[in-house]
Amino acid sequence: MQALERLVNLVALLLNASTPVSFEQIREALPAYEQGDLTTAKRMFERDKDALRDIGIPIELQATDVWEVEEGYVIPKDRYYLPEIDFTPEEVSALFVAALAPGEEDAAGTAVRKLIAGVDASALGALSARPVALGPDRGGERIGAIARAIQDERAVEFRYRDAAGGVSDREIEPFGLLARSGQWYVVGNDRGRGDMRAFRISRVEGDVADAGEGAAPPEGFSAAEHVTAGPWQEDEDATAVVALSPDVAWWASPSGGAVRADGWTEAGIEVRNRDTFVDWVLSLGPDAEVLAPAALREAVAERLRSVLAAR
Amino acid sequence: MPPADARRETRPPRASERLRRLLSVVPYVIQHQGAELSELSSVFGVSESDLAQDLDLLFVSGLPPYGPGDLIEVRVEDGRVWIDMADYFDRPLRLTRNEALALYLRATELAATPGLPEADSVRSALGKLERALGPGELGALSGHVEASEEGEAAGALETLRDAVARRERVEIEYYAASSTETSVRTIDPEELFSALGHWYVVAWDDRSDSERMFRVDRVRRAKATGERFEPRGLLGAGRPLYSASEEDRTVRLALRPAARWVAEYYRADVEGERDGEVIVSLPARRLEWLVRLVLRLGSDARVLEPPELDEAVRSLAGKLLERYGGSAPNAS
Repeated sequence: MQALERLVNLVALLLNASTPVSFEQIREALPAYEQGDLTTAKRMFERDKDALRDIGIPIELQATDVWEVEEGYVIPKDRYYLPEIDFTPEEVSALFVAALAPGEEDAAGTAVRKLIAGVDASALGALSARPVALGPDRGGERIGAIARAIQDERAVEFRYRDAAGGVSDREIEPFGLLARSGQWYVVGNDRGRGDMRAFRISRVEGDVADAGEGAAPPEGFSAAEHVTAGPWQEDEDATAVVALSPDVAWWASPSGGAVRADGWTEAGIEVRNRDTFVDWVLSLGPDAEVLAPAALREAVAERLRSVLAAR
Repeated sequence: MPPADARRETRPPRASERLRRLLSVVPYVIQHQGAELSELSSVFGVSESDLAQDLDLLFVSGLPPYGPGDLIEVRVEDGRVWIDMADYFDRPLRLTRNEALALYLRATELAATPGLPEADSVRSALGKLERALGPGELGALSGHVEASEEGEAAGALETLRDAVARRERVEIEYYAASSTETSVRTIDPEELFSALGHWYVVAWDDRSDSERMFRVDRVRRAKATGERFEPRGLLGAGRPLYSASEEDRTVRLALRPAARWVAEYYRADVEGERDGEVIVSLPARRLEWLVRLVLRLGSDARVLEPPELDEAVRSLAGKLLERYGGSAPNAS
């Protein structure tokens, strides 16, 4: 008899049993365990049990009667069956695209295949042929380790390289993870600094290690509130008029603008931070010129003078 | 140590893997009687012959005493499958903690990727998962993984995505930041991936007859040609965003802390630190984009090598300054 058949029979038996089934009863019921002597059969059963637990089947040992003289095995239905989740076909498709992004066949793929039983999956086959890959997978293991720490309210420690290049060892109580623009961040209480801090996972060097008991997140915690979009402050509130060459206008200002006779586009650009705006204009080189206001024209000129002065 | 006779047996992990698969396939078939084998094969990621083998075994399984009325009934006809007498397998097994975590993180990442039409659905699906899964699966993590989407959606994304799926050659109009030029090219797009908030397509480029990577938001126009191509197996996600070439020159820069991000963003080699500056080197095929980068970094970056880069920066800065009505300060 094949191993798979034996395993299916074992699951069916224990899932259908109304009371715990002792090994002797299993052996009587399942012909596969009748072969060989008792020790061999028992050993085979132990290995099967481990195999089932490995894939997440909850086998429990319980007393067969109130006197607890004998024990038997059972698979509790409420712990075995996936609860009903009422997904729309679009939701399942989206989960499929996420889980099946190129890479090794993994736990996410196994997970999503358990979720499709109630959905018409005839459209899903085509999806596996519309692949997208989500970012470089560096840090995947570190993200998993931090997620597990949050699940268990454990603290973690890791070596961190900050934006300015400084390296330090951090011990944090992680409260939440945030994915933004292809980057993962963890936000938590930095024990060394006694304050809430955000860390970019790609700047974590080496492994994430357990650091003992952690803490629950504060009431109403949201990771996004602690991860700023950039290191800059809002110090400006102006609309600049920028002339953009035909080469760059279509992507540098997707919302368009007025096209001049020479083909250049005059676009209105919201400015929230002066330095960031000047960075952006200069990164376009000769393809951009600030026309107004005068103060921002001067800011660009000032930066250009400093570049020349340094050389 | 298992005894020799047990080791000879073809048992787990193979058998447990097959069981895991079967426990997902069976509930699906029970709820969709007459499902096509080919569809099951593509959805569950298993070959039709492996699937047929597994179903064959199911056919002789069931409940004691394993008489005709106790066995699971499996019927495979004209490439379609029916399963009966297996009501106890009509719902899938719960997600393990690892499975729930892996799916949850992957889906959150997708929700945070700009421009994907699936983003809204994945967000609502995540909400349902959080509510349905118990403490054993997501636990305290529920509600503590967030996605925030930033960046522009790229107009050509869907066209390129379809082309990758169909292995169809496309004509694109592309602005290359490296040369600061717009060109029309024919490419064979092999893989689409997102990194650092942008979408990239890895493709064979007809014009340069080489492998190239294109940023999707810099593709102004993409048109499918109707021609198919054979994939060359180009390296996709996880590859460095810059691919080295023989024409590369080495550029060395000294970066002050405010410009340290350059090392990280362009994955430059860090040679060392000196007087608060970090010395990095990076390969570059063209200098045009570097001129603009250095210009933008202002006094936070110094060019150590090559001298013509520094010269080009100075010349561009002088030219631009004239536009702004200023003149270069006297050279000291």
